[in-house]
Amino acid sequence: MPEATAHDLFYDELFEPGGAPRRAAAALVAELERLGADGLAEAGRRRDAAFLQQGITFETAAADGSRSLERPFPLDLVPRVLSGAEWSHLKRGLAQRIRALNHFVDDVYHGREIVREEIVPWTLVASRSHFARAVHGIRPPGGVYCHVAGCDLVRHADGSWRVIEDNVRTPSGISYVIENRAAMTQLVPQLFAGYRVRPVDHYPQLLLRALRSVAPSADSEATVVVWTPGSLNSAYFEHAFLARQMGVELVEASDLVVRDDVLYMRTTRGLVRVHAVYRRLDDDFVDPLEFRPDSLLGVPGLVRAYRAGSVAIANAFGTGVADDKAIYHYVPEMVRFYLGEEPLLENVTTYLLHDAEVREQVLSRIGELVVKPTGESGGKGVCIGPHASEQELEEVAAAVRAQPEAWIAQELVRLSTVPTAGPDGVLAPRHVDLRPFAVFGERIDIVPGGLTRVALEEGSMIVNSSRGGGSKDTWVLEDGDDVADRAGPPIADTTPPALPDLRYGTWSSQQQQQQQQEEVR
Amino acid sequence: MLARIAHELYWLGRNLARAEFTARACDGVFRAELQSAAETSPGVRFGWNGLLAMLGASGGALDGGEGAAMLRREQALERLTLDADRPDSMLACVERAREGARTVRDVISAEMWEAINATTLSLRRDAAASWRLPGGAYQASQYVKQRTALIWGIAERAMLRDEAKRFLDAGGFIEVADMVLRMLRVALPAGAASDGGGAAAPDPAEARADGNAFALLQAVGGFHAYLRAVTAPPNAQPVARFLLFQRAYPDSVAACVDSLHEAFAAADASPHESKPVLRVSRLAADLEFQRRALPDGAELLGICERVQHELARVDQDVAERYFAGATGDVARSSLHATGGERNAVAA
Repeated sequence: MPEATAHDLFYDELFEPGGAPRRAAAALVAELERLGADGLAEAGRRRDAAFLQQGITFETAAADGSRSLERPFPLDLVPRVLSGAEWSHLKRGLAQRIRALNHFVDDVYHGREIVREEIVPWTLVASRSHFARAVHGIRPPGGVYCHVAGCDLVRHADGSWRVIEDNVRTPSGISYVIENRAAMTQLVPQLFAGYRVRPVDHYPQLLLRALRSVAPSADSEATVVVWTPGSLNSAYFEHAFLARQMGVELVEASDLVVRDDVLYMRTTRGLVRVHAVYRRLDDDFVDPLEFRPDSLLGVPGLVRAYRAGSVAIANAFGTGVADDKAIYHYVPEMVRFYLGEEPLLENVTTYLLHDAEVREQVLSRIGELVVKPTGESGGKGVCIGPHASEQELEEVAAAVRAQPEAWIAQELVRLSTVPTAGPDGVLAPRHVDLRPFAVFGERIDIVPGGLTRVALEEGSMIVNSSRGGGSKDTWVLEDGDDVADRAGPPIADTTPPALPDLRYGTWSSQQQQQQQQEEVR
Repeated sequence: MLARIAHELYWLGRNLARAEFTARACDGVFRAELQSAAETSPGVRFGWNGLLAMLGASGGALDGGEGAAMLRREQALERLTLDADRPDSMLACVERAREGARTVRDVISAEMWEAINATTLSLRRDAAASWRLPGGAYQASQYVKQRTALIWGIAERAMLRDEAKRFLDAGGFIEVADMVLRMLRVALPAGAASDGGGAAAPDPAEARADGNAFALLQAVGGFHAYLRAVTAPPNAQPVARFLLFQRAYPDSVAACVDSLHEAFAAADASPHESKPVLRVSRLAADLEFQRRALPDGAELLGICERVQHELARVDQDVAERYFAGATGDVARSSLHATGGERNAVAA
């Protein structure tokens, strides 16, 4: 059980500071105690075997760095529980934020009103590495740019939620959300007893519907494809998963061709028109004629087809400007400017470093802050002050001085904790964050919960799976399910129809069988 | 071949298919039931109580209204999978398949007998131990799915395509069709889009009735096939049509009826005068007619009921023509005999 001291610093999501389980978690904690450490460890072994068998793995470099090892995806069997009320607040806040980000992308490539109102400086926008001049003036169908979005949330020591990062390019992880849930129902079904957990497996259908709704096809059913850089990409598992779950083709660049501003795929029956592409590669690589000319993964002419409006691309080109870490600072302002609303979800306090005064202040207390490069994702290049060595801090300070626009600094967030099982099944608190996944088509749908990432090392706050992080199944309960004692799910409300009896083949009668047996004796 | 042998093979096929479908249905339904309904569309309600109802009253699943209402989830799951005293449990199906296979050991290959026997022994052994744990029933279902696939695979590669194989196959096909029809009848909401309005504005009640049918597809195991074959979202209507009429999907009712016809036509000495062949042939044609003639959104429950009834008559015709009149009776006694015999062997 968690130590009392940890509660003074961090918010634990299953236990109250006194050590008693929180209301929504009471039934879960009781089941976990019944299961015990040995039971959890045993279920963990079954999980690893099942994941290896199903190929739900990721590759890590071996200790000597020579070759990569295939490991089962690290799913912790203790779920994270969010009440229905908590979730509806998060959901509204996320939808609001994503709407604002979408407005911002549209504005940046059209009227630039937010710049003229002097809310966001143009030099900052234009200097972002993902700002795409090639798509200036293009407005996709329905005005939707960020069809798929994932904002990373963290929970402060006081229990309040903050957004720490926006992802509106190609956020990944949804396949793990779905596979985690499937594995949990298989491995530890008893934990679900007494709860009604909202399902997550309809995400692919939501995505497909959203893609169809923005596809420019007049007469026939729209052809949708998932575009992967190839089977060597680290997220290939997810690309294949989504294509399979949506029942659409998974294509690579060599399958696609643009003729007369229309996108086609090569099939055994000739060229077939493609109406919507869910692309899982960065802007830089999509079209050698408009972006990086040395890209071998791109389709020449794709941006032209996109400009002509003959194909929908999700997410739209150029969205990367909105999830840049320097732009992040302005998102609450965007919500006020575009929507006229107060933001429901706050940012983590962030400092932009182009102002010399702010910069020097930040550098003077760099040991307490988190410093991040603006254009990166996946935790690359992040320096956490309290955990960094003197030398690392000096190197980062030098880099910041050399190129202040490429860095931001943030106050350290004390991530909340959830009890997590070690290899021996013993529970200990570990830090978590949350990435919910939203789909923006005709409306914004957000899959209940999302990917909870957990730092498996004690005290660590690095949750990225490439750096030793794991994940948890995230439960969003139905409203009213956070009451302490509740009966199991109700028996069916309707009476099923009476069906004819099952038939069983009988050749010889019972007596005959008995006689045969007597013969034997 | 001997009528008795043909009968055993036919029922071996039926029992194998029944075990597999019970396994699939348990896996799909019980796991879906752990979670609440999707917030976008509450959808088809196909829960474990429906699963019990699917097996009819004789299986002892719903013995008395009061008893059934008191049944807990875990008990229901156990009853459907590993309860040896229930004739409709997955384990009982496998046990019966083993008894049948033992009777025809000279007809099926040694390899096939071994596969069936090993499956039964391992289920029996582990049912008492590891598979009693929570989560164990799912593993057992998984195991049975894999083993039945293996057994059918061996039959496909190792058995001569003679009369024996046809009867084995026929048993499998008729059972699959029957199981799928049972699931549809339990899961399909009564009166779903009954007026055949097609693209009429959906009133809330109708939208609910035509909600997503994930659980149904998962229970049959046709989720992936559906996604590749049909562009419509997996709602009750298109899913039901797919499971009834889609010939390209091997476990659809239409495909099973086609295969059944093929099997009997090949096994029968004079198929043109054979009642079962003619009846199945008429049913196949009727299904094809319905597929083409029915408007979108038409009511399908009535068709399910009629087709199931017709298949029951096929079963009777088969018994009369090939098995010298041995009827497939509802017989709890046969299971008790099996159990007793096992005890006798053990003693």
